[in-house]
Amino acid sequence: MALIELRDVSKSYHRDALDVPVLESVSIAVPEGDFLGLMGPSGSGKSTLLNLLAGIDRPSRGSIRIGDTDITRLSERALATWRARTIGFIFQFYNLIPVLTAFENVELPLLLTSLTKKQRRDHVVTALNIVGLTDRGQHYPRQLSGGQEQRVAIARAIVTDPTVLLADEPTGDLDAKSANEVLTLLQRLNQEFKKTIVLVTHDPHAAERTRRVLHLEKGTLVEQAVS
Amino acid sequence: MKFLGLVLKSARRSKRRTALTVLSVAIAVFLFASLRAVLDGFNAGVEGSSSTRIVTQRSTSLFFEMPISHGEAIKSTAGVQDVTWANWFGGVYKDPQNFFAQYAIEPESYLRMYPELLLSPDEKRAFLEDRTGCIVGDGLARNYGFKIGDKITLQVGIPNYGTRDFDFTVRGIYKSGGAPVDNQSMFFHWKYADERSTQKGLAGWYIAVIANPDQAAQVAAAIDRKFANSPFETKTDTERAFQSSFVGMFGNINLLLGSIALAVVITTLFVAGNTMAMSVRERTMEIAVMRTLGFQSATIFLLIAGEGLLMALGGGIVGALLAWLLVNPRVFPTGGFIPEISVNTTNVAIGIGLSAVIGIVAGLIPATMASRLKIVDALRRVA
Repeated sequence: MALIELRDVSKSYHRDALDVPVLESVSIAVPEGDFLGLMGPSGSGKSTLLNLLAGIDRPSRGSIRIGDTDITRLSERALATWRARTIGFIFQFYNLIPVLTAFENVELPLLLTSLTKKQRRDHVVTALNIVGLTDRGQHYPRQLSGGQEQRVAIARAIVTDPTVLLADEPTGDLDAKSANEVLTLLQRLNQEFKKTIVLVTHDPHAAERTRRVLHLEKGTLVEQAVS
Repeated sequence: MKFLGLVLKSARRSKRRTALTVLSVAIAVFLFASLRAVLDGFNAGVEGSSSTRIVTQRSTSLFFEMPISHGEAIKSTAGVQDVTWANWFGGVYKDPQNFFAQYAIEPESYLRMYPELLLSPDEKRAFLEDRTGCIVGDGLARNYGFKIGDKITLQVGIPNYGTRDFDFTVRGIYKSGGAPVDNQSMFFHWKYADERSTQKGLAGWYIAVIANPDQAAQVAAAIDRKFANSPFETKTDTERAFQSSFVGMFGNINLLLGSIALAVVITTLFVAGNTMAMSVRERTMEIAVMRTLGFQSATIFLLIAGEGLLMALGGGIVGALLAWLLVNPRVFPTGGFIPEISVNTTNVAIGIGLSAVIGIVAGLIPATMASRLKIVDALRRVA
């Protein structure tokens, strides 16, 4: 059974009394341990699809099952709890909290758990160690390079040991070297730590690092490639 | 508690803005606590008034005096047990800025009728035996360093008392045993002032002790009837009404000070609310990220509201403590002309409570805004 299963998912937005379709009847199955790349031009619906998987947006039609949970049936409150346990989200612009240190940014999702302060510290140290930033824990985001910020954001995404990692163009704001480091890190998380990853990207080099790629165009899946 | 660090960090995001918000609340609470202290001071005299004392003054104004013969006439009124009188002296101690109240009293009857004026038996005896002796409140003694045996010279402030300075010897330092008596005044023998007065035999006001407080109105009316149609008509009231009319000389203090306090609090509420709303708007992305990480709407609400509460409470504590430290008779002696002003622990507690209310109310709209933020819209707006 696939870990992630989208069935006939459609999404449209209401703009000035008009329904603007963004996704139309998309069905995808992502097995556990997969590293899926989602490609497509701007406005093709990639980020919308990712937001639906993260449970931060709701489909107009269809169902989304992740693990044993049909997330389209969850209330806002239940969705938030589910997200905290199940999803690690990596943003294009890192979106770290500027007043918190790298350590505190990574610790943020753990504040929602019942872990003790010492347990939280151990988890944060482990996550920072995985992304190679143990020595940057006390640095504020403004004191880090873009690549380092994104690695802190990845540490924040993995610190709760989520089932699924969702990355929305994580290399879109990075230079080639930093982008390569981030992609290598994501590959390692997939291969070594068996994380299921869905990566949205414009970049063919980034897509090459995934196990398989789906292309979206005007809200529909147009082809499926295996790398 | 684990979110407290997050709230504190957020509050320190813009140190200048936070400091200004805290300062605005501090000023509001300082003013509120101080104005309450002023009101309390005025009301204390009224609240603590004796129910068995009535006060007779000229019907025209407290500033006009009456013949000393009124005393006997008042004493002979049915229901009256005892009578004393006093005059406002208005002298100057070294410099007109050294203002404190001085009363020329008939010492034996006055001390008898005002048990709130606490003196040791030795001091009382020394005062009664010395025609040029005086007693001063312990607050006044502290302010000017007066000690028993000290000589005090007062320049004449009211022309009635001639032009020569008055010399006094401090024979006692009294403590106040109740609101009608403050500890910032000076009392001396009425005879000493009267013998050098250009218009002899005049009293500023009379105080009478009555047997039955329930008959105060009837006794007061009987006294005033005695002097009706005379050149010195009187107006007699209970001590409470007399204190109220004295307070009333300053206008409607309750309304005036209450309005100022209310305006300050409402203005601060808007300032704090606007600052917090601005802070939330600037943090749209961060709030969306936190929601994405799994923070519940309610948690976001509490974090933002908590931040507002924390800032307001910080300001409240600073303002209330400053008021407590600064607004007291040692720093602002009123000289006995108006009651003592002192911020007490109740004022401090109410001030801090008010700051909490400001924080909660001001944070309500921004916190609701933040908790209702649609994650996708917020992320899209920022991207």
